[in-house]
Amino acid sequence: MVFNSLEFVSFFLVVYALYRLLPHRPQNWMLLGASYYFYAAWDWRFLSLLVGSTVVDFFVGRYLGRETAPGRRRLALVLSLVFNLGMLGFFKYFNFFADSLVRVFGWIGWRVDPVTVNVILPIGISFYTFMTISYVIDVYRRDIRPTSNFVDFALFVGYFPHLVAGPILRAPLLLPQIARPRVVTRMQIVEGLWLAGWGYFQKMFVADNLARLVAAVFGPGATPTGLDVLIAVYAFAFQIYGDFAGYSNIARGISKLMGIELNVNFLFPYFVVSPQEFWRNWHISLSTWLRDYLYIPLGGNRGSSLATKRNLMITMALGGLWHGAAWTFVLWGVYQGLALVVARTIQEWATRSGVTLARGLTWSRVALGVLMFHVTCFGWLIFRAESVTQIVRFSQLLVTDLRPGPSTIRSLLIPFLEIVTPLLVVHIYQARRGSESAPLSLGTVTRYALYGAVGYLIVLFGDFEGAQFIYFQF
Amino acid sequence: MRRALLLVVILALQFVVLEGAIRWHGGSEVAPEFRRLFMQDPRVGHRLRPDARARFTTVEFSTDLAINAQGVRDDEPIGPKAANERRVIVLGDSLVLSVQVPFAQTFCELLEARLNAADPAHRWRVINAGVQGYGPVHEWLFFNAVASEFEPDIVLIGAFVGNDAVEANDTEAWLDAGRPTTAGTEAALNVLRRLVRSSVVLQLVRMRWDLLRGRFSSPTPERPVSSYLADPPPDVLHGLDVSRRAFEKIARRADELGARAGLILFPARFQTDDGDYGRLNDMVHRAGGVLIRNAATARFREALAPLGLPTIDLLPILEAQPDRIGLFYQRTIHFTPRGHELVSGALFDFLMTSGLVRQLP
Repeated sequence: MVFNSLEFVSFFLVVYALYRLLPHRPQNWMLLGASYYFYAAWDWRFLSLLVGSTVVDFFVGRYLGRETAPGRRRLALVLSLVFNLGMLGFFKYFNFFADSLVRVFGWIGWRVDPVTVNVILPIGISFYTFMTISYVIDVYRRDIRPTSNFVDFALFVGYFPHLVAGPILRAPLLLPQIARPRVVTRMQIVEGLWLAGWGYFQKMFVADNLARLVAAVFGPGATPTGLDVLIAVYAFAFQIYGDFAGYSNIARGISKLMGIELNVNFLFPYFVVSPQEFWRNWHISLSTWLRDYLYIPLGGNRGSSLATKRNLMITMALGGLWHGAAWTFVLWGVYQGLALVVARTIQEWATRSGVTLARGLTWSRVALGVLMFHVTCFGWLIFRAESVTQIVRFSQLLVTDLRPGPSTIRSLLIPFLEIVTPLLVVHIYQARRGSESAPLSLGTVTRYALYGAVGYLIVLFGDFEGAQFIYFQF
Repeated sequence: MRRALLLVVILALQFVVLEGAIRWHGGSEVAPEFRRLFMQDPRVGHRLRPDARARFTTVEFSTDLAINAQGVRDDEPIGPKAANERRVIVLGDSLVLSVQVPFAQTFCELLEARLNAADPAHRWRVINAGVQGYGPVHEWLFFNAVASEFEPDIVLIGAFVGNDAVEANDTEAWLDAGRPTTAGTEAALNVLRRLVRSSVVLQLVRMRWDLLRGRFSSPTPERPVSSYLADPPPDVLHGLDVSRRAFEKIARRADELGARAGLILFPARFQTDDGDYGRLNDMVHRAGGVLIRNAATARFREALAPLGLPTIDLLPILEAQPDRIGLFYQRTIHFTPRGHELVSGALFDFLMTSGLVRQLP
C-alpha cells in the first residue's frame, strides 16, 4: 500500500475517523494495529521481522536502563547491534556480498560456486532498523530514559507514516508525542493538508512524470546523445527529490493531521553552495543519523585534518551502501565522500588565506550554487545508472557529444521544463521564506490560486497508477 | 461563504486558462486538434473526417496527418480502379491507422512499395483503412458502408488481440442491427458526453474518474487485460464469438466483391516486452488474477480458425527480433518506424506465400 494509491487514501480516512473518535490510549492501540496492517498489506510474512526487532530492542532498552555494570551494558548493546545489523545484512546485502566474493575469487583464478539465497528485501527495513539502533544507543549513552510502555515503543518503531521510507525518527522527538495525549490544532490541520497536498504534487506530478523522461534515456535500448544524458540527469535530480521529499511531506502532513510532528527531512537541497550544506539539507534524518552514530564515534573532526577526511570517506561510503546493495551505490557514496573532502580542503585553504564568501544572494554565491548543483547531478548519474559501464559511457557522452538528438528538445527539454517550472516557482518562494509551509502565509487570493493550481496539476497530469516511491527499495 | 465563492471563481478562471493552454499545447488524443480528425457517421459510428488535416505532437513523435477525400489516411484520393491496378485494403484500429509515424513510414505504405517493386506489371495500392478506436464490429460496418466501394482485390482484416474481444462484445447490438444503435439511457448520456467532449480539461477529468471508478467497482484487472486471464470473464469469450461473426461478414462481403480476405493478428506490446509484461503481471497478480502472456493470441487463433481464412500472426515475428523494445513506442502501444518496417516485410511475405496474391486473376 503506497501513499499515492486509493487503497491508502481509503485506509487513512478510516484510521483518521477512528483516531478523532478515540481517547489517547486506545488511539495508540489503534494506530499500532493500523500500522501493522499497513505493513502487512505489502507482505505479512515480514511483519515478524518488524515485531522481532521491536521486541528485542524494547527489552534491551529496558535492560540498559536498569543495568549499571559497564561490561554487561556493552554486551547488551553489542548483542542488539549484531541482531539489527545482522538482520539488515542478511536481507539486504547477503547476495551482494556473496556475488562480489565469487567475482573477486574469479579474478584471482579461484573458481567458487556461488551461494545465493532467494531473499526478498523487506520494505522499510533500513529505516526501522536505524530507528531501533539509535534508540538503543541513546539509552546506552544515557541520553534518554527507556520507555516502559511496550505499545508506545512498538508505535514509535512501526508508526505507519514513517515506516517504509522515513524520515528516520529519533526517540526524543517521537516517543514523548506518543506517550502524552495529543491535541490537534486548527493550524496543524491547515498545515497538514497543505504539506500532504504539496507532497502528492511532488510525487504524482513532478517525480512520476519525470520518471518517464529519465527511463527513456537510462532504460535499455536507448541511444542518447550527451545532451540527452544531461537533461535526463537534471530530470532525475528533480525526480528523486520530488519522490523522496514528496513522501516525507505526505508523512509529515498526515502526521500533523493527527497532532504528531515529524522532523523536516528536506530543506531546499539544490539551493546550496557546498557539499556540507547539501548534506545538511538532503535526507536530513539520515545524514544526522550517520553523523551522530557513525562519523562522530569514528572521531569526527576531533583529530587531524587527514583523520577527519578519512572519517568522512568511511561515513559516506557506508551511507552509499545503506542506499542499496550495488556497487553503483557504493561508488555514489565514495563520490559524495570525495566531494566533502575536496570541499573541506578548499575551505581549509580559504580559511588560511582569509577568503570568505559574501552573505546573501550574490553572483559568486549563485555561481557556486550552479556549480554545486552540477556536482550533485553527477552524483545522481552514478546513483541512477544501471551499471558501472553505463556510468562510464554516459560520462564520456557528457564531454564528447553535447549535441541535440532528433527528439532532444521536443521529448526531453520541453517536458522537463514544463514539469519542473511549477515546482521551482513555489520552491524559490518557500526557500526564501525558509519553510515549505510558507505559502500558507500568502494573501487569500494567491493562496487559493496556488491550491487550485496544485490540485489541477495533480488531477489532470499526475500519475494515478500508484507508482512506487524510489526510497522503498532502500 | 464569501471565501468559498472566491475559490470557485479562482478555480473557474484556472479552468479557462488550462483549457486554452492544453488546446494550444496539443500532444494528446483528447486534444481538439486531434479530435478534429474524426466525425460521426450514422452508418458506422465515428470515422475519419474526409479531407481533415492535423499535426499530432507528443513527447515521442510529431506527425502531420492527412485524410483523403474518401476518409482514409492516404496522400491521394481513391478513384476508379485502373485496369492494371491491384488494391489491398487493411482494416483495423489505431495500430493500422498509425498516427505516430509519417504516412510514408506506415506499414501499409511500405507494403505498397514492396509489392510494386516485386510486381512491376501491376500498380499496387495498399489502402490504410484503420480508424482509432475500432473493434471488429466497427471494421465490419466501415467496410460494408465505406471501404467496400474501394474495389479491393485483397482485404486484410486486422485483429488487435488485446482489446478486440471486449470491444466486439460491447458492440454486438450494432452487428445485428447493421448500424450503430443507442439504448435509452445511452441517448440521455450523450448530451453529457458531448459537453465533456467539448472540453479538453473535462475529458482529462473524465479519464481520471474512469480510472478511479474502475478501481473501486471491480476487483478484476482492467478490461482489455481480461482477454489474457487464465479464467477470462464471459464477455471476453462472447466477444470472441462476436469477432468471428463480424470478420465472417467482412470475408463474405469481400467474396461478393470478388476479393480475397486474410487475417492479421496484432499482439499487445507487453507480449513482446518483458519489462511491460512483468509490470502487468504484478498488477494482475495483485488484483487476484493469473495473466497468461499469449492467451489472447491463442484464443483469437482458435476462435477465428473456423473461418478458414489465411492468417498471419505477427507475434512470433516480433518475438524473434533481438531488440524487441524498439518495436513499440514507450508511451503508447503503437509501432515505431522500425516496427512498421518489420510488419511490412512480414505482410509482404504473407501475401506472397499465403496464396492471396497468386489467386488473383
